[in-house]
Amino acid sequence: MQLAATELTAHERELQGEVRAYLKERLPVGSYKLGLGMSGASDPQFSRDLGERGWLGMALPTEYGGGGRTAVERLVVVEELLAIGAPVGYHWVGDRQSGPNIAKNGTEEQKEWFIPRIVAGELSFAIGMSEPDSGSDLASLRTRAEKVDNGWRINGTKIWTSGAYDATHLIALFRTSEHKHEGLTQFIVDRHVEGLSVNRIPFIDGTRHFCELSFEDVILPDAALLGPVGGGWGQNTAELVLERGGVDRWISVMPLLEHWAASELVKNPRGSEDLGAITARCWAFRGMSLSVARMVDDGQSPATEAALIKEMATRFEQECVDIIARHYGRAPDPSSEDQYERLLAEAILVSPSWSIRGGTNEILRTVISKGLAKR
Amino acid sequence: MNTETPLVDPDLVAAVRQLFGDKSTPEVVADAEQNGLPTTLWKQAEELGLPLVGISEQSGGSGGTLIDALAILSAAGEFAVPLPLAQTHLAAWLLQSAGLAVPSGPLTVAPGTKDDTIALSGSTASGTLHDVPWARGAGSIVALAGSDLVVIDPADCQITPGTDLAGMPRDVITFTDAPVTVAPSKVSADELFLRGALVTAAQLAGAMEAASSITQRYVAERVQFGKPIGQFQAVQQHVVTLAQMATMTSLNVVRGGLAAMSRPAAFEICCLKQVADKNATLAYRAAHQAHGAIGMTREYRLQLITRRLLAWRAEFGDEQQLALRIGAAVSAHGQLAAVITGGSAEVEV
Repeated sequence: MQLAATELTAHERELQGEVRAYLKERLPVGSYKLGLGMSGASDPQFSRDLGERGWLGMALPTEYGGGGRTAVERLVVVEELLAIGAPVGYHWVGDRQSGPNIAKNGTEEQKEWFIPRIVAGELSFAIGMSEPDSGSDLASLRTRAEKVDNGWRINGTKIWTSGAYDATHLIALFRTSEHKHEGLTQFIVDRHVEGLSVNRIPFIDGTRHFCELSFEDVILPDAALLGPVGGGWGQNTAELVLERGGVDRWISVMPLLEHWAASELVKNPRGSEDLGAITARCWAFRGMSLSVARMVDDGQSPATEAALIKEMATRFEQECVDIIARHYGRAPDPSSEDQYERLLAEAILVSPSWSIRGGTNEILRTVISKGLAKR
Repeated sequence: MNTETPLVDPDLVAAVRQLFGDKSTPEVVADAEQNGLPTTLWKQAEELGLPLVGISEQSGGSGGTLIDALAILSAAGEFAVPLPLAQTHLAAWLLQSAGLAVPSGPLTVAPGTKDDTIALSGSTASGTLHDVPWARGAGSIVALAGSDLVVIDPADCQITPGTDLAGMPRDVITFTDAPVTVAPSKVSADELFLRGALVTAAQLAGAMEAASSITQRYVAERVQFGKPIGQFQAVQQHVVTLAQMATMTSLNVVRGGLAAMSRPAAFEICCLKQVADKNATLAYRAAHQAHGAIGMTREYRLQLITRRLLAWRAEFGDEQQLALRIGAAVSAHGQLAAVITGGSAEVEV
């Protein structure tokens, strides 16, 4: 496996400067709830403001109102947002994967309706994949979409769906026939469609973004189909490339690292050594994410590369949390008045989820091994 | 896209890998451990101009870029080539920077240890230099003495032979009133250290690629419990670790090389060598664990690769020393994300 070395062009660095300057003004320290990467707070107004600046749906086609820019340009923007723990929760999934999925597989009507709204930061997406009996073995899922006169009738349960309660839409994978992979189809579901009930499942840190979705005779129109009937597995796999190879897999803890690196806690040999090792590895992961983004811009779909990065980057983030916790000197209080202490407490509690969501590390290793064997 | 990126000529890489793959056989490597420099292999490499790629033709080199040189050294690491290619590159680079002509034949460089002593008196020198790779076999030994560059003839030295973990010569040289060539050096001890770290990391990257491909092949062929062991998730974990370490290290070396072509790049080089050193440890453990007993024998090729990982991870900085250096610089700078994205343009390490 080879990743080609690449650096930011002058034009891309200019964009980086613009984003940095804007965020300094728009999100002064202390003015927003610090987040851990993609789990950042939901702030619809902030999402709309980013949309106004052209920093959402950046790589989506211009004929539907997208930015027509590159995956690398999107990386530059996202990197700046996540480095400061910005409230990206409302638009995150739509910007990262639902938008590109619709642009690639959607009908003209879907593209005309959804893309401009994703670009404007008006929509919030959640992804319905796991079910009570189907997690890592996703192809065994059973929630049915049955063809009926007026569209499709959905029955079943999706679970562990982040952000579904407050989402405007879901992209869900349903079973349309008994064929293992070819029997799976994606649909765009209005969050408030009749017959869909969304229940929150309290997360380990007490937050309530995790959800269970019950579909009881939900009727979806034919227009809700995303891509061809039976094309869901392939579309889902392509989406995972966008979900796995990005900077979001190693930069979640940056606000904590940044705060720690500037504190007295690192001013001892043990602290310096840990900080140096973390810095070096962040630099390495950043280069890998950048290479993957260039590959996407070159029209490739580097699925194995993305899985390879996610598997180790999520473990790295977890190690970072352990290291900061060790240097902290005492167990942090999740209700502390110090926002960094609260964030550290949150990170300690939620970090196991990083190597689970988006494919467990065990499954990723199988994906990578199979990918390597084919080369 | 960054179109001016000086990429390596794929034909050059193919020719080099072909040569090393054909000629640097396990027998040749084992023989070098017993008898020193394999002169036939050196001549074959020299015929292609490989030892002096990255050194200008005006200085007596073969031309080409630093990236080309790193690609050759990576291939040398991949095939455990028992030649002082990295040392010749470093010595030639020092000579070139001081405006001295680069002789043909194998050269070496004293990496500089805390126990070294060297005293100049006019055009003679006395002293002791440690851990000099290939002092036996090199035509000239190049060393830094303060701000001077000193060229010593091994024939004028008493050489106490030693080896590194891969069984390659790494000697102590002692000389008394030896006639030497002296010139003011344009390269500081730290610049030599960084260049050494970069070329060593290139070799490490190649060795990790080899460890990765040897292991992938082995687990696809070795059958236990009725199926290739590569189908067991526990074994896949080792295969994945190796691919990760190799891919990351190879990419880093090219990124570091590109940076070093336009600026001192201390930050990038410290980072890439620190990561390479740690990755070498993880890769060597994973490769041996996946192989089991056969990997522990001298009869199987893996040890040629893993012993080099172990030797090189401690040359020109190690994991801890480099981490301390980077950490102190980041802590003094105060902004981690800016350092990671800005590199040596942002921070002095």
